[in-house]
Amino acid sequence: MSQHRKVYGLGAEFNSAADLMHAAEKIRDAGFAKWDVHTPFPVHGMDKAMGLGKSWLSAAVFCGGFTGALTGISLTTIPSFFLYPMIVDGKPYSWPTVPAFFPIIFELTVLFSAFTALFTLLLLNQLPKWYHPVFNWDRFKRATDDGFFLVIEARDAKFSESRTKALMEEIGGQNVTLIHD
Amino acid sequence: MSHSTESPNLSVERFDSGVAKKFSSMCFAASVVGLLVSAIGLFTSREQFAFSWLFGFMFVLTLCVGCLFWTILHSATDSEWGILVRRQMENVASVIPYLSVFFLPLILFCAPILWKWWDLPPGQDALLDNKAAFLNHNFFWVRYVAYFLGLGGFAVALRSTSMAQDEDGASRHTFRLRKLAIGGLPVMAVCLTFAAVDWLMGLDYHWFSTMWGVYIFAGAAGSSMALLVLIITGLKKAGYLKAVNLEHYHIMGKFMLAFTVFWAYIAYSQYMLIWYANIPEETIYFKIRNTEGWHALTTILVLGRFFIPFPILLFQGTKKNPKFLCAVACWIIAMQLLDHYIIVLPSLHQTGVSPSVYDFASVLAVAGAAAGFFFRRLASANIFPNRDPRLSGSVALTN
Repeated sequence: MSQHRKVYGLGAEFNSAADLMHAAEKIRDAGFAKWDVHTPFPVHGMDKAMGLGKSWLSAAVFCGGFTGALTGISLTTIPSFFLYPMIVDGKPYSWPTVPAFFPIIFELTVLFSAFTALFTLLLLNQLPKWYHPVFNWDRFKRATDDGFFLVIEARDAKFSESRTKALMEEIGGQNVTLIHD
Repeated sequence: MSHSTESPNLSVERFDSGVAKKFSSMCFAASVVGLLVSAIGLFTSREQFAFSWLFGFMFVLTLCVGCLFWTILHSATDSEWGILVRRQMENVASVIPYLSVFFLPLILFCAPILWKWWDLPPGQDALLDNKAAFLNHNFFWVRYVAYFLGLGGFAVALRSTSMAQDEDGASRHTFRLRKLAIGGLPVMAVCLTFAAVDWLMGLDYHWFSTMWGVYIFAGAAGSSMALLVLIITGLKKAGYLKAVNLEHYHIMGKFMLAFTVFWAYIAYSQYMLIWYANIPEETIYFKIRNTEGWHALTTILVLGRFFIPFPILLFQGTKKNPKFLCAVACWIIAMQLLDHYIIVLPSLHQTGVSPSVYDFASVLAVAGAAAGFFFRRLASANIFPNRDPRLSGSVALTN
């Protein structure tokens, strides 16, 4: 049955986070691009071992926050200073009153930043996703328990069923398995 | 990754005692010049001297107490990142006991000038009569002693415990540091808050702000982190602390950013509540400082303490660039100086800015002496706690 289905990639299991990290360094140096590691907990230094650059998330959040601040400034100052200037509570309707608007500007900055962070994160991670081929691999369930996994996707230019499998076994991978879509 | 079982493989570093002696005598010489000029002020224009001296003293005290805060925070939270730089915070904090002497001339010669309640007989002002249980000579002296015992005691105890670990490397010192720090946290908070109330808020005994203590603390913590960045960079320039890398700068930069925001948050909240409620008793503080020549300085403070450093420190690149971070650190310390100038001096010159030679002399006298004592402390201990059991974690820092 399985040989008729498309190959998703190759998965290998490792004994510990340290083993997986060393393996990741080797895969990185071998020049693979479409691959990932899966661990039950965050591993410090893994991003460097995998050769990942700095995330784009902060740039997106900065833009979101900046837009939020501008929105807050516009929504408070334009009506209060220009459209409907009114004296409220004895305070003038000009720039010295700006402190009264700070909470609004601040809240909108935070709100826009938070939403940008959440939605960019979902977008970058391609979430939500109802199905993922790695779960066709039975052993992979242990990724949330005590398993350390490395998966190389078949769409990687360097991927070859036999040679990649040999490489994964050479760097210490156990139960190297072909995963089908 | 955990490296706790590996040996740090770092050799002991000790600051050259000859260089330290040279630096500390240079600082003391500068301090003596400041002291002489201030002494002239004490006899010829005592009013100006009193306020100038309080300004210089509080600027230096807040920097030192800020470093005490970082020492305490580091141990109380079991931090690992800053073990390499911890000794320098301890060194600055341990200057606090010496500062107690510098406060004496204010109580002995200038108290009635600075704190108007000092000589006011009972029955003259109903407001003061109601506060007499707190604002009286004896209790003021008791509090002065208590502040320096509390702040200085914990600073010295933390440093000597940390130094004892240099000798034997026993982990019990780490546990003792943690206990001391957790005990010291409320003591530091109470001492700094009440010192700020006594010595600065007391400049106008009618005025009050419930955020005053935390406002002084916010400025102190942020500027002392800036001071730490400068000290660490200086030591690196002199060839020490090679293990300190950009990751450490990144964290120190993050703390500077955090306390830039925190200062703005507290300063704004204090201003906003007073401005909006519009009670004359409270607004007097900002009325003086937002009119005449003071308005320009207040504007510079708001822009310079928050709106300029905030967007700069926001980016990772600037926090990981020691040269740039040092420039920002100098700027923040300059703003702390301005902050305390605006807190103290308008009480004297209510109609506008009037700089005096004694303003500079007092800063020179107190800061020079503090720096002199710091260099002595620097040479008397290892530059970093080389036998802290978790030193390797600090060396291999990633964030």
